[in-house]
Amino acid sequence: MKYLFFAILFSAFLSPNGFAQPLQAIPAIDKSPMDMSTYPVNYPLLKIQDKATIPIVARVTYSRPQKSNRVVFGELLEYNTVWRFGANENTEIEFFKDVKINRVLVKKGKYSLFAIPNTDKWTIILNKDLNTWGSFKYEKTKDVLRVDVAVQKTTEIAESFYIYFDKTTTGFSLNAGWDDVKVSLPINM
Amino acid sequence: MLFSKKIIICFFALVLFSCNQKENKNDNKQSPTDTLQNNVAALVKSDQSTLDMSWCPANYPLEQMQGNKQKLIARVIYSRPQKKGRQIFGTTAESLCVYGKPWRLGANEATEITFFENVNITGKDIEKGTYVLYCIPNEKTWTIILNTNLYTWGLHIDETKDIFKTDIPTINQQPSIENFTLFFEDTKTGCDMVMAWDNVKAILPIVFVR
Repeated sequence: MKYLFFAILFSAFLSPNGFAQPLQAIPAIDKSPMDMSTYPVNYPLLKIQDKATIPIVARVTYSRPQKSNRVVFGELLEYNTVWRFGANENTEIEFFKDVKINRVLVKKGKYSLFAIPNTDKWTIILNKDLNTWGSFKYEKTKDVLRVDVAVQKTTEIAESFYIYFDKTTTGFSLNAGWDDVKVSLPINM
Repeated sequence: MLFSKKIIICFFALVLFSCNQKENKNDNKQSPTDTLQNNVAALVKSDQSTLDMSWCPANYPLEQMQGNKQKLIARVIYSRPQKKGRQIFGTTAESLCVYGKPWRLGANEATEITFFENVNITGKDIEKGTYVLYCIPNEKTWTIILNTNLYTWGLHIDETKDIFKTDIPTINQQPSIENFTLFFEDTKTGCDMVMAWDNVKAILPIVFVR
């Protein structure tokens, strides 16, 4: 936030009024905007249309960094290094009921999500540390689960990192991708 | 990318949601019957009314990351519609937020507030937990409302699930604010939740119950 403060200070010098009307610390729109995905897909819309057939199962809240002409994997994000699976605040997943991931029971509740990207696989991490920033203070001892998932190449380049859920025969999956790669994490109900 | 909250960036996408406008869907939130399977193109677009998160104490995640131990009191998740030259508050049908009608205090999904501790707002104790937060704007006052109908889109508010209402005065805001903004400022007794859009600002004082 120091940066924001200086940005505002600087913009005050540039503005015609200068400090005549002191600007408040109004948060700017994030460069990596936040987004939300639910399972069932679009649950909030289904709910107001009375079309939801089951209660909400999962929700992920994450920020969406952009490629901006950079090489994402291997350069912007180093391989074999814990990444916050988004930008800014920790990516957070909430399960509203118990689920199974890779045959491990995951109790309902909130978890932070991290990933360790590699060329052929990503390690997806569920961790207990919540409401923090980035992966700077990531602690492996607070992991709940680690699962390796295979990297798939996509034909389209995704400018913004994305996460979405979709239905599978045994439950649903969490899909995430950026640039020309994508991974899929199966979750069983 | 690490501290990207410093730069004002305009995002371009398809459709703006706000207030009582007709409800369109943008590509990022497809119609419920669509599937998103492998449809990367549909996912690369961000909402024009971007989601954002505000914390009390302000910047809690950064502070926590930097080792400053504080008690987390509240978190708001809300979307930030843009003014884009339109009339925001007023009595006429052209106003995005019509006086006397509920407004979701954001866009898209219902705005959500989580209290991690019990708090007191204008004399009433509020139990810790997660609530939908919305408002009924009027010229001189805004009615701020907490509601328990969670995980819903911000329209069709179920008023039978309201658990708290309070009126707060509106304040003239200069200069005009392009993006609806909700943030917390620390006070001696707790924090102020500041809401501002266009030329209107309202402040909800939140007191920590110790």
